[in-house]
Amino acid sequence: MLTRRSLLKLGSMAAASAALPKPAHSVGPADYTLYIAPFTLDIAPKHAIKTVAYNQQVPGPLLRFKEGQPVTVDVANRTENEEIVHWHGLFLPPDVDGAMEEGTPMIPAGGKAGYTFTPSPAGFRWYHTHTFAGTDLKKAQYTGQHGFLMIDPRENPARYDQEFFLALHDWDGEMTGSADGSMNPAYKFATINGRVLGFGEPLRVKQGQHVLLHILNSSPTEQHWLALAGHQFKVIALDGNPVPNPKAVSMLRLAPAERVCAIVEMNHPGVWILGEVRKHIQAAGMGIVVEYAASTGKPAWQQPDGLSWDYGQFGSTTPSASLSGNIIDIPLVFESRFAGHGAPDHWMINGKSYPNTETIPLTRGQRYRLIFKNPTSDDHPVHLHRHSFEIRKLPKNPDSRGIIKDVVLVESKTEVEVEFTADNPGLTLFHCHQQNHMDEGFMMLFRYA
Amino acid sequence: MRLFSKFAFFLLLSLAALSTRSLRAQGNYEIQVYGADTEASKSTMVELHSNFTSDGQKQVIDRVYPTNHQQHETLEITQGINSWSEVGFYVFTSLQDGHGWQWVGDHIRPRVRVPDSWHWPVGVSLSSEIGYQRAVYSPDTWTWEIRPIVDKAVGRWYFAVNPALERTLHGPDVKQGIGFAPGVKVGYDFNKVVSGGVEYYADYGSITAIAPLHDQQQQIFLVTDLNVSPKWEINMGVGIGPTAATDHWIIKGILGRHFSWVKQSVTD
Repeated sequence: MLTRRSLLKLGSMAAASAALPKPAHSVGPADYTLYIAPFTLDIAPKHAIKTVAYNQQVPGPLLRFKEGQPVTVDVANRTENEEIVHWHGLFLPPDVDGAMEEGTPMIPAGGKAGYTFTPSPAGFRWYHTHTFAGTDLKKAQYTGQHGFLMIDPRENPARYDQEFFLALHDWDGEMTGSADGSMNPAYKFATINGRVLGFGEPLRVKQGQHVLLHILNSSPTEQHWLALAGHQFKVIALDGNPVPNPKAVSMLRLAPAERVCAIVEMNHPGVWILGEVRKHIQAAGMGIVVEYAASTGKPAWQQPDGLSWDYGQFGSTTPSASLSGNIIDIPLVFESRFAGHGAPDHWMINGKSYPNTETIPLTRGQRYRLIFKNPTSDDHPVHLHRHSFEIRKLPKNPDSRGIIKDVVLVESKTEVEVEFTADNPGLTLFHCHQQNHMDEGFMMLFRYA
Repeated sequence: MRLFSKFAFFLLLSLAALSTRSLRAQGNYEIQVYGADTEASKSTMVELHSNFTSDGQKQVIDRVYPTNHQQHETLEITQGINSWSEVGFYVFTSLQDGHGWQWVGDHIRPRVRVPDSWHWPVGVSLSSEIGYQRAVYSPDTWTWEIRPIVDKAVGRWYFAVNPALERTLHGPDVKQGIGFAPGVKVGYDFNKVVSGGVEYYADYGSITAIAPLHDQQQQIFLVTDLNVSPKWEINMGVGIGPTAATDHWIIKGILGRHFSWVKQSVTD
């Protein structure tokens, strides 16, 4: 049977056999250069993680592009494995989007590639590897190959005094038996920007500031809940897209690959912890100190009683305007197939695992409604490449409007509906962003007719 | 490294202390091939082992009651200490026509395992079981067992090996050496709930002078495990003993439940 791993090999062979990269790859001078190489990350005073990273740092360098202004990024792969860089959340052609399944060439071990594209849409995006890991939890998204990507709008209306970019990540994973009967990764460490709580530099703020936080969950598999003791987050954008109804909340939930942009009004001087709400994950390191100027002392934490999050609260509150034209429904049912207590489950969409999943045709200009049905016992953060979608139906909100995202968490035993317009021709990958799920078949392609 | 040193010390101390042992009377109070996992800290496992010897020893030998048609009910309580150790306690009882329901003895069994953070490719643990049983049920009244445990799940298959070493501390076999009593299990997951497999138990006698086949105890069980919930453990099986020294037919069952003493909240 053709597996994702064998497809990756075929892809790399095709890439290696090509004399030159595809036309979308520039031969001109690069605006940015990334190199992928082994890296030892000191996450704590006495613990280092041997991983792979961009430019010898975790997260990789912040890349800031101007919306609509073409850019070239050269990437050198100094590892022993083929690599690829996915520009997550951008409306790119498939040959530079950074998914082998769509046709972007893999970068051979020791090879180079140039990605030239016109960044769009504006907002907080990210870049990351898009390779296969399987049971090797030292590869693909289990590594430090992730970085922030900010597409600045032509005119920036945001009002803030200071901004911080924060990446949540889990490290040193191991496949272990889980309560659902199959094997899943469990992690020893959890970090923000590659450091455990108390080891990295604090976020230094001043009273009265409006601080803009750009938070990315780059974890290969885990959802994370964040709170900042003594403060609230005013959520202004999800996955980099402004929300219709910005709202202050006491905690954030980010599924793998999700981003949240939130303003925090610094009105409670002291030294605080911005950290994972769940105690065992904060104890594993997920937290960062927020320190007001002239404040000293031990960082304080206020433990919330529960977990709270609802996408729908940020949606439009005005009546729905009916869209002209018909919308075509595409039901996508997520299912698992037990493979033994000593193996991860296999995943299927509409009864088939990638690469045997159906490639659904799209018509340019047509609007589609993706109906996600998740009867399984796992949550799934599903991601649509090269497009954004609008969340239209949530378990607690049957008429959601105005929330534009590229990842949505479909919780266990629930249904979620999203709509998108097919306006970016080419093969389009859809998958669960949990590395272990996509590796076990939770992927499919759309193609333009 | 400190933990590794403790583990090695525990193993060496146990092996050094074992000196003499011979073939012992058949127990059949707890018929189980152990997996390497230990009970989680702040939680307790309560198990009932029910074993019925449908065709066993029919004569009184050395003043030991015959095993034929004995119903053994064993209560096993295991308390998790931390993420890599536990202590188990057994109460052995026997029901039999003419003798009623009798207390047989008690054992205590501390166990340590290789922590997950060591990233070993197989699960490994080591238990040490010591205890007393009444002479009318076992001529060797005080015994000690060291049981290394290695297991591995690969896809639908599960493998476990328990090459146990036993020594009699008090009884007729006290001077007869270390005994070798391995247990092996091979299981297969038919689906998420139902697993089937084979368990093999043996007592080869002294490790320095393996007993003739006729005198060895060997049992083969066909078993099923029902994984109905992470809280429950259910194991059932029927076993045959093909050698003269072994009870010929035994039916066994294990019903266990985990109890957590920590109220888990979503933010823990």
